[in-house]
Amino acid sequence: MEKKTFNGSTLLTLLLGIVLLQSCQTKERVDFSTQIKPIINKNCITCHGGVKKNAGFSLLFEAEAFADTESGKPAIIRGDAANSEFIKRLHEDDLELRMPYEKSKLSDEEIDLLTRWVEQGAVWGEHWAYSLPEKVDVPTKPSEASFAPEIASDFIKNDIDNFILARLEEKQLEPNAPAEKSTIARRVALDLIGLPPSAALVQKFNDNEITYENLVDSLLAQETFGEKWATWWLDVARYADSKGYEKDMGRSIWKYRDWVIKAFNRDVSYDQFTIEQLAGDLLPEPSTDQLIATAFHRNTMNNDEGGTDDEEYRVATVIDRVNTTFEVFQSTTIGCVQCHSHTYDPFKHKEYYNLMAFFNNSRDEDTPNESPVLKFYDTEQQKQVDKVLDWASKHGDKNTLKTYRNFLQFTEPVYKSHFFKEFKNSVYDDHASVVFWDDGNLIIPDAYTNNASYVYVNYRSHYNGTKMTIRETDANGPILGQFTINKSKNNKTSQFALKNVDKKTDIYIETQNDAVAPEKNILNMYWVGFIPDLPAQEKNGWTRVNTALLELLNTTTETVPILVENPEYMKRTTQVFDRGSWLTKTDTVAPATPQSLNAWNDDWTKDRLGLSQWIVSNKNPLTARTLVNRVWHQIYGHGLVSAIEDMGSQSDAPTHPALLDWLALRFMNEHNWSVKALIKDIVLSGTYRQKSESTPEMYQIDPENELYARGPRIRLGAEQIRDQALAVAGILSYKMYGPGVMPPQPDGVWQTVYNGADWVESKGEDRYRRGIYTFLKRTSPYPSFLTFDAGSREVCMIRRTVTNTPLQALVTLNDPVYLEASYHLAKNNRVANDVKKSIVNSYEQATFKKITPNRLEALTELYENSITEFIKNEEASQLFLHFEEQPTAELAALTMVANAIMNLDEFLTKT
Amino acid sequence: MKNIVERLIQEKLARETQEKTRRHFIKSCAQGMGGLALSSIFTGCDPLSTSTKTGRIAYSERDLNPLSTLAPPFAPKVKSVIYLHMAGAPSQLEMFDYKPELQKYDGQDCPQSLLEGKKFAFIKGTPKLMGPQAQFKQEGESGNWVSNFMPHFKKVVDDVAFLKAVHTDQFNHGPAQLFMHTGSARLGRPSIGSWATYGLGSENQNLPGFVVLTSGGNAPDAGKSVWGSGFLPSVYQGVQCRSKGDPVLYIEDPDGITRDLKKSTIDAINKINKEEYAKYADPEILARINQYEMAYRMQIAVPEVMDINSEPEHIQQMYGVEPGKESFANNCLLARKLVEDGVRFVQLFDWGWDTHGNVRSGSIDMGLRNKCREIDRPITALIMDLKQRGLLDDTLIVWGGEFGRTPMQENRGNTKMAYKGRDHHGDAFTMWMAGGGIKKGASHGKTDDIGFSGIEGRVSVHDVHATILHLLGFDHEKFTHEFQGRPFRLTDVEGEIIKEILA
Repeated sequence: MEKKTFNGSTLLTLLLGIVLLQSCQTKERVDFSTQIKPIINKNCITCHGGVKKNAGFSLLFEAEAFADTESGKPAIIRGDAANSEFIKRLHEDDLELRMPYEKSKLSDEEIDLLTRWVEQGAVWGEHWAYSLPEKVDVPTKPSEASFAPEIASDFIKNDIDNFILARLEEKQLEPNAPAEKSTIARRVALDLIGLPPSAALVQKFNDNEITYENLVDSLLAQETFGEKWATWWLDVARYADSKGYEKDMGRSIWKYRDWVIKAFNRDVSYDQFTIEQLAGDLLPEPSTDQLIATAFHRNTMNNDEGGTDDEEYRVATVIDRVNTTFEVFQSTTIGCVQCHSHTYDPFKHKEYYNLMAFFNNSRDEDTPNESPVLKFYDTEQQKQVDKVLDWASKHGDKNTLKTYRNFLQFTEPVYKSHFFKEFKNSVYDDHASVVFWDDGNLIIPDAYTNNASYVYVNYRSHYNGTKMTIRETDANGPILGQFTINKSKNNKTSQFALKNVDKKTDIYIETQNDAVAPEKNILNMYWVGFIPDLPAQEKNGWTRVNTALLELLNTTTETVPILVENPEYMKRTTQVFDRGSWLTKTDTVAPATPQSLNAWNDDWTKDRLGLSQWIVSNKNPLTARTLVNRVWHQIYGHGLVSAIEDMGSQSDAPTHPALLDWLALRFMNEHNWSVKALIKDIVLSGTYRQKSESTPEMYQIDPENELYARGPRIRLGAEQIRDQALAVAGILSYKMYGPGVMPPQPDGVWQTVYNGADWVESKGEDRYRRGIYTFLKRTSPYPSFLTFDAGSREVCMIRRTVTNTPLQALVTLNDPVYLEASYHLAKNNRVANDVKKSIVNSYEQATFKKITPNRLEALTELYENSITEFIKNEEASQLFLHFEEQPTAELAALTMVANAIMNLDEFLTKT
Repeated sequence: MKNIVERLIQEKLARETQEKTRRHFIKSCAQGMGGLALSSIFTGCDPLSTSTKTGRIAYSERDLNPLSTLAPPFAPKVKSVIYLHMAGAPSQLEMFDYKPELQKYDGQDCPQSLLEGKKFAFIKGTPKLMGPQAQFKQEGESGNWVSNFMPHFKKVVDDVAFLKAVHTDQFNHGPAQLFMHTGSARLGRPSIGSWATYGLGSENQNLPGFVVLTSGGNAPDAGKSVWGSGFLPSVYQGVQCRSKGDPVLYIEDPDGITRDLKKSTIDAINKINKEEYAKYADPEILARINQYEMAYRMQIAVPEVMDINSEPEHIQQMYGVEPGKESFANNCLLARKLVEDGVRFVQLFDWGWDTHGNVRSGSIDMGLRNKCREIDRPITALIMDLKQRGLLDDTLIVWGGEFGRTPMQENRGNTKMAYKGRDHHGDAFTMWMAGGGIKKGASHGKTDDIGFSGIEGRVSVHDVHATILHLLGFDHEKFTHEFQGRPFRLTDVEGEIIKEILA
């Protein structure tokens, strides 16, 4: 900033003194985080903080702000604004000196605030997001003078409304009246189960057989609830059925999707939900479900493209896990800190790598087979598994049991071939295996053999009689094992005797097969494992158990990728990347959490489990607020903090700060992290139950509905639009779970290099399943979902930007799915010889509203135009309703009307 | 139905004028910009830039139509871009970067000094250098080199400006293509075409603003992300127009439905939506009314523009089109038709340029020659056709791959390569641009004697992007979008305009 040396002018100081005298007359205390930090972020931080520290002055951290600048003295002198360069520069007339540099002068109000702040001692404060109050009081009911008593009493249904009403009162606005019964029934059903409510349920509600709360409870208890809310979670978890990148091969990870649905339905507390996904594998004796939950972080992409470096993409995966964890659970975009200290938020460059250290020790290494994958044995196989585990438990200790349980469940820890070295007549083939030719050899660097008496080798051998020799250190080292490998049809895991060595050493492996021509590939080796011995080899029955073990290792089963931690002897060290480049590593770092957030508890282990406990600690200021804010966003289309991705200091302050905190505290302390209880609070409020109608004037005052003088009105999500169409047509399948399905989509949409996989249209009810079950290929998602703003789930997606485009109209007008649904809606509601009644029925079934005369007229006119055309051209009905054996012009015309209904704004929108 | 929408728009514009603060903002900040919504693009000028609310005004033009035309902040040189991407990476050494010295070293081991610290996708050990497999000649008045693989191209060589020393740090197809089209090798950033349509909207409201055409039998390696909108609203992503099936998904009316009937349907929908608007006053409803009208018009306009049969015989011959098939020639002709009709950004991907030498079609001596044959005539025709219509001055054509190829012949372990091939190479490769604002016949940058590295005028992928944005009327450093609490640019924190090829 130093464009010209500043010559202290007495006149200026004098003038400044007068200004200060005046401003100091206002005694009101200035608050750093709400009043000062926003001014700094807007005007100063780009040049004085984070990446840039012009003139040696930074306003990012407290210590920096009060430190000496390049001029040799600090820019801010506490309590002395007149002598603080920080203030003086704001008043400068010389444009070369005035701050903000080359920008217009700050407003008098801003200058006054900054000046008073310095005068009052320049007390540094924390941004609101980084501390959470212990208690929040609910505002008292507004005085009767400001609202007619019936307004307040009609409106207030629970404590949320008091917060909302207080703000409305401030703005002198009145809330809307409560919405009609059928409207609120449709709204709450779409929010809770993502589908319109059943006719029977609405009937009961309309007839006052059940209360609104009963209605809500009934919806919360439906299994469709889990499907609706899992759809949201799968966006943040970046769930997809393929691996992404160039090859984008399929990935079998749908058990994770099913786990999420079940977790929402069982209302697993959010703290437990978090811990299991981040560190289920590190819990004591993790259940199968807890292991499946860790697939959350196996939704990262996997690069199978030829010639790519597995280590590079493993690192990319770890980085994605750090960023995603912070985006999902902390509303913090930590990604910037990968290259430099955060520009706006108090996170330091090194802290990024401290966080990375938590995630840098999982076994997955970007291999094409996605190891480690959890195996699912059938009942017969499970009996064999139990036999092995019983033996391990009976003859060994707890560790033995754990070793064999892990080895059978996910075949780890083993040394994978891509990290082998010093290839001679052998080469890493880029497909997870090493190719050996005759007289081939290589080194497994720095391996630990666990003092094992056996080595496990996974290979595919193309010839009989290959002699394999394993030596310690190198070609001249002592022989540890020597055995013969014969031709194998498929990949095979074999066990060979090994001399016991109890230390870390390079392992040398060599193949000899004179019978094979030198240019022929003898065998492909995938991995080598040294597993501590299955004990009591001398006892009767060992051989039987060992045979069972080997059989199990060679079975193929259903699998799901999971997280597994490195054993101590395989631990990676984590280093800071210079400017974010993984090739330039500097200081070694240990796992730690950012200093500006809650303190670490020494009872926690320094691993992913500890990190997840830190996240769900009641002391963490961001976790509960993040979740509360995002659930609110799901329901209202915007959060209490509008930047749902980032609660950092660049985001707007919450519209209702006290409500956000109150909801967060209640969620943790009173609801014990129950997501269902939180959702119930929100939808039971009078705020939620208002009419969503508005006027142009009201819209002008509050375009985003941030004051909540009306109920929510937002367009439905991609899956919901299709689910709803199928549901009102009566053709939606309620079948749950299982592999992704492939409903009809236009030919030629799937086009991927090297990937032979085809879109094979599902049969029967699988064509009509809910959107959450549609197979999601990252490079080519289901086209109509993409058009309605669903993502390709390559990375974490916190928000779907809602767009409004002509391509969307083309989907609901012309996609055969919507035509089929329209046909069923029309057919189900047709009343013989009564066109008007048929139209009214279709409309009301789809929208849950009484039809207005204008609407009926418009739809009847469409009917008349259609029937005229269909009568004129008989063939047209047949072409249009090709799935109907004897289509009539009447049914065709009613289908046209039903299709128009499915294109109405009120159908595509939650009103 | 159109009148009512227009009236509603009029009304909201009248209301807007009452908003004094916004007016002030327009005056002081948005000189030369088309509309209010742009305020969210140029954070430097947005009074609410620290807010993620981005000052969304209830009834801006962009709310009703996100593709409405906006003027760029600076006088643009071109209105449209046609980007020709050769997916797989063409060999610069057989097309434009003539290296007679390399011929002398043909068959010799590559010097170790060149290999140290370098990573290649497939080459292992010490590869041998391989001389140019094509014959070169200086062509046109500019005297720029063109190989005999591109015999037609010499006719337009004086219209293009070569970049002979482009470099990239990516050497795998997927990431390199992403980098070339989004400025980042990782997924999640908007493509150049998305940025362009976001900043400028579309000139033709009956067609998508950003159209993608593919040929060569496969989509690009990096998938649809290379024309994705990243964190920009999805309305700005490229719309793939296909030569088989519906040119745009669901553009065709269902069987048995006439245009009149579709018109009746949309009339009924919009009539009811207007009633809905009267009750809710939500501008999204107005936007939807607008979108349904646009969809109806698009249903006519898209099939029309995608029909190459309507072109005169001599034009079809000039490009060498093959009606009914998916071909690069067809796509070149379509590209001309699309920019002629006001489409902002046309992106062609031609797959099949990965010439490792492991198969005939993927070889320098056979496959590359065929691929050149497929593009030579159509590209030449495209430039000449745009020129004869006076469109070349308003259009920018960009040609290139995601990286180049090694001066060494590819070897893989013990495997003997069946054909002559070159591995991926990001240190130096050739791209060219032609059209408005481009210095005709220029050649910028030089590689060393064997074409391994750039030694003069090296330009990065970010520099190419900065130059494209410049020609469209943007300062690449100021054209940003707020996302995750910080402004993002196509050029990240880099990029310099390549002045040497500007007229």
